Amino acid sequence: MRTKLLLAGAVLFAGARLWAHHAFAAEFDISQPVKLQGTVTAMEWINPHAWIHLDVKGPDGKITSWMIEGGSPNILLRRGFTKNSLEKGTEITVDGYRAKSGDTRANGANITFKDGKRLFLGGSNPDELPQAAR
Amino acid sequence: MSKILLILVGLTGLMAGQTKTYTPPRTPWGDPDLQGVWPGTDMVGTPLERPRNFGTRNVLTDEEFAQRQERAKTQATVDSQETVNEVTKCDPTRGGLGNTPTTCKDGVSIGPPLYWDDRGKPGRQASLVVDPPDGRIPALTAEAQKLAADRAAARRTRPCSTTAGGCHDSWEDESLWDRCITRGTVGSIVPNTYNQGNQILQAPGYVVLRNEMIHESRIIPVDGRPHPGSAIRTWMGDSRGHWDGNTLVVETTNFRNNTVVGNTQATESLRLTERFNRVDANTLDYKLTVDDPKTWTQPWTIEFPLKSEPNYVLYEYACHEGNYYMYNALKGARVEESKKGSK
Repeated sequence: MRTKLLLAGAVLFAGARLWAHHAFAAEFDISQPVKLQGTVTAMEWINPHAWIHLDVKGPDGKITSWMIEGGSPNILLRRGFTKNSLEKGTEITVDGYRAKSGDTRANGANITFKDGKRLFLGGSNPDELPQAAR
Repeated sequence: MSKILLILVGLTGLMAGQTKTYTPPRTPWGDPDLQGVWPGTDMVGTPLERPRNFGTRNVLTDEEFAQRQERAKTQATVDSQETVNEVTKCDPTRGGLGNTPTTCKDGVSIGPPLYWDDRGKPGRQASLVVDPPDGRIPALTAEAQKLAADRAAARRTRPCSTTAGGCHDSWEDESLWDRCITRGTVGSIVPNTYNQGNQILQAPGYVVLRNEMIHESRIIPVDGRPHPGSAIRTWMGDSRGHWDGNTLVVETTNFRNNTVVGNTQATESLRLTERFNRVDANTLDYKLTVDDPKTWTQPWTIEFPLKSEPNYVLYEYACHEGNYYMYNALKGARVEESKKGSK
């Protein structure tokens, strides 16, 4: 099912996207997938993309600060995401790709809360969107 | 009998025609009032160019419309179920975005998560391009083809051209949009991706057109003054408007020589003609003719409706200050270089 959806996504996406924005492959390294579990320390509501700041505790107990790229604040707001949606101290898990720069930055591909609920639900149905941020 | 029928048909046609003629309200100083918020979001999913098999037909049949609705539904499912970073199967031999050797690595391409984009509302319009009648952007002139070929050849000589993500040696490798400068006069209003808000404000002698993407505001004189001299060149060009009946006509010239329209770099000869016609209280028909005889073999026209959405908020999009992308991409390129250098 997952594969099917991905393939469908590829086909539709290729047709819809005439003028692309930021080149993701320039920013993030596809060969460096990361899975980060940590605590939110801040969220920057800045254009063109919001950034979530995350403290991640390593196996040795050492804390590393990461920055996770999110969507544009405009689209997050329209998806029902508010400044209260991701409060300081929230524990989240992020699946993404690390920045090519080697910095502790990554794109926020899949963000889940401790209880397994996803941070974003996406979708095109505006009626469902406010729930995405709950 | 047949005469009566003809008269009846004629009368019905006339009445139908009359009901279709909408007269927009007037501003206190007497101009047609086009003010309001007119997002283009609904049209995001409509392709710029028409698939060739449609020929000169620009309206979908019931069956094709049903297919488009079905695709939109599938897309919504993909968007809601798959928030994983745009990891999709790709094929560099297929061409197109995501399928270039630089964006496709080991059969996987990388792009933004799906929920970052607007998808639009499936409609019956086959393509945004309405003229030429086949809905295709005309061929490039021989001069423009040579320029494009020369640029492509120059790119291929750079070692970075084969790395994933392409060349990011300098800020000049980034598009004006990536640099948060502008998405251009055409790109700011033609529906694509997100931030499709548009707003029209009027004052005596002026019309202001705001675009949400990179927060453009074109202040357009409608008092008949001429364009400035040809030495003055700007990213958004110089717009001058006039009224043709109830239609606002805006002509824009004085572009820089690196203005991108669609995926093509135009020349300083570029001239845009836009027509804003309020066809009913909630619909603004938008028509844009692109003319650059040095780039395309003939002018071409885009047309689509903008729908009134008074509750749509145009959020600020001051984007340069927080554009970490530039740092990430340019530093990423330096890291790649040092890796290659150490090999």
